[in-house]
Amino acid sequence: MTDLTFLASIADLPAWMLEVLRLADPVLGLALLMVFAVVLADLLHRYIRLPRPCGHMLVGVLASPLVLRILERAELDTWKPLIDLAIGVLVFELGTRIRPRWLIDNPSLAVTCLLEGALAGSAVTFLLNWLGVPMLSAAVAGIVAMSTSPVITLAVLHDIRPRGQVTERLLLMTAINSVMAMLSLRVWRVFAASAEHDLVSTGTGALYVVAGSFLLGAVCGLLLDLLARRVHGTGTMPVLQIAVVTIASMLAVQWTLSPLLALLVAGVVARSRMRHGLTVEPQLGSAGAALGVVLFISLGLLLTLDHIGTLWPSVLAIIVARAAGKAIAVLLLAKPSGLGWRQSGALILALQPMSSLAVLLAADTFIWASQFPGVDKWALQALLAATTLMQLTGPLWTTFALKQIARESETEPSI
Amino acid sequence: MSLAAFTPSAPLTLGVELELQLVSTHDFDLAPQAEDLLRVLANHSGAWDVKPEITRSMIEIGSSIQTEHGPLLDELKDLRRQLSDGARKLNIGIAGGGTHPYQHWSAQQIYPTERFHYISELYGYLAKQFTVFGQHVHVGCENGDTALWLLHALSRYVPHFIALSASSPFVQGTDTGFDSARLNSVFAFPLSGRAPFALTWDDFGHYFDKMTSTGVVQSMKDFYWDIRPKPEFGTIELRVCDTPLTVDKAAALACYLQCLCRYLREEKPFEPAEDDYLVYTFNRFQACRFGLDGEIVDPKTKERHKLRDDILRTLARIDEHALDLRALNASNLLRDSLFAGNDAAGLRQQRRVGLPLPAVVEWATERWMG
Repeated sequence: MTDLTFLASIADLPAWMLEVLRLADPVLGLALLMVFAVVLADLLHRYIRLPRPCGHMLVGVLASPLVLRILERAELDTWKPLIDLAIGVLVFELGTRIRPRWLIDNPSLAVTCLLEGALAGSAVTFLLNWLGVPMLSAAVAGIVAMSTSPVITLAVLHDIRPRGQVTERLLLMTAINSVMAMLSLRVWRVFAASAEHDLVSTGTGALYVVAGSFLLGAVCGLLLDLLARRVHGTGTMPVLQIAVVTIASMLAVQWTLSPLLALLVAGVVARSRMRHGLTVEPQLGSAGAALGVVLFISLGLLLTLDHIGTLWPSVLAIIVARAAGKAIAVLLLAKPSGLGWRQSGALILALQPMSSLAVLLAADTFIWASQFPGVDKWALQALLAATTLMQLTGPLWTTFALKQIARESETEPSI
Repeated sequence: MSLAAFTPSAPLTLGVELELQLVSTHDFDLAPQAEDLLRVLANHSGAWDVKPEITRSMIEIGSSIQTEHGPLLDELKDLRRQLSDGARKLNIGIAGGGTHPYQHWSAQQIYPTERFHYISELYGYLAKQFTVFGQHVHVGCENGDTALWLLHALSRYVPHFIALSASSPFVQGTDTGFDSARLNSVFAFPLSGRAPFALTWDDFGHYFDKMTSTGVVQSMKDFYWDIRPKPEFGTIELRVCDTPLTVDKAAALACYLQCLCRYLREEKPFEPAEDDYLVYTFNRFQACRFGLDGEIVDPKTKERHKLRDDILRTLARIDEHALDLRALNASNLLRDSLFAGNDAAGLRQQRRVGLPLPAVVEWATERWMG
């Protein structure tokens, strides 16, 4: 159907229908979805204690081609800069929350951070390879499996405001395993490209990305410090922070660097320079919170369970191998790093939400397949299904781990 | 339950307990991580003790029995080192100070033990508001009668300890104007204040029996007096001090008490009397409110002096005992602090230079952890 015939067909529909409204103004369609998401998430939270981010994602799923077909996935590409900004806001906040000095004070923790990502990635890669998936394709799944979703971690933290050892370790590990996934993806690209390109030039390219992202993040962190000294008033800081996050994020994309690494470094540098002068509100204030809702609706829209009936062994392999890898690393070093067994259980569970940020933030589009030319499409679909399951249920795992197992969210509700 | 017999202990031996704040290194608010720190310190190498306190953001440390300033300070420094190493491993900070400047009482969590849950049930929100941090000093006595005589003789000097140790000017994000606002939280408890005037262990036993028969108290732990006897340890326990910002000050305060006790026991400059308590609450208020700049009324002569001058004169009087007890360094530290100002003044100074309260807590954390 051409655009003209489509327009002609909807001209007869009543003006209040969603299709008509969306066509009239795409922002209106998204705003309506946001209203619906906020109300539904709140109702589900009140009556069945479902974490709010799950409610937001469910609305995305309802609107997706899987159920009501209100929005097509390709339509989301228009919104990608906005969604990248929402992710950027959360990644920057994550950077401000971590204190790298802890890794020096507790070397066993530093080893745990590296080991849990590496073991999870290796376990997934080798198990899929054993199941018959080509090594290069299995490695993509392994790389994505390394990371814990920073978006879900931060969203749950905003929701239940936990304080304690598991929360602090979860934040640190989420940051480190996300960076590890991003770096591994660069290495993977070097290997994947080696057949067609010169290995040295691809390697140099990867080095450029890492060093450039570090540099960009550091400059943005310093810039925020510099600007904050010149403006006063409580309302100005979140605006400045959003502006700097936008600049870092957009420049990173423009210069083909890693927005994830740049924003994390920007957060760490801003915190270490500004110390108590840096007040970071959850999601950088109400505008960031609105972006957060859009982000979770979009994540819901992107979820896919196509071919789960045939791919379930691979999906199960990814989820189980990943969980086992993370569990082994955490349990092995629990005692020397000062963590109790109950807390270790909580941390393992809280690390389970999966993330595709390492891929998404570096891409121009939400269509995954285009990011990995030559990768086995069934392996990719199994990875997508595993990510879907561990993303949709992610807030449940993290909330249960922090609230019920680690008991780090016992504050009384405010009036 | 009747009063336990007073276990004799060597006179003038010392024990120090410090309640400490556990803070997050991110926002320097209280961090509910006492269980984590206790687990990390389970195999510490010292003779000292570390245990939980009523809320999960507090711990209490206790020295072993000591006789002199030097070994006491060495032990407190060893304790500080091991505690700080444990805290760094967990990414938390440890700070002294009588109150946390901006913690919210309702956010505090009761430490999961039977006794703390009982206290929480009994006192309701007061239990969470009791997230305040004090230094307790035990002094050994050979029998219950001596302990009670000393307890009442020391009442005249209670304002000295309040003013010297005061380190709690900020509460719930506000400067209270008090140097020691911590003691206002203790006042809220029905069994706080001063011990009844009984000079023999038998008389005290009668009082205790009457109180237990009313069902108001079950054990000596239910009394939150400024100084109370501790029969199972064979000590009296001074409980009015805020936790100082450094272990050096904590050791000095303990030795000041030791020297005062020796001075009172050997020279007997006066006999305690019930009327001494006529000015007790006034003097106590002055010390809490104005610290070293407060006034003190001598219960015997009824003369009024500046607290700072009264402490200076007392330090001069007990110098000989400090020399014998090898506590001159402790006396000198306190003498210097009379002019430099107490810890409350130090905390206010940080605020005056424009630092936000989290930075003030960070400063206190660096001072305690070294």
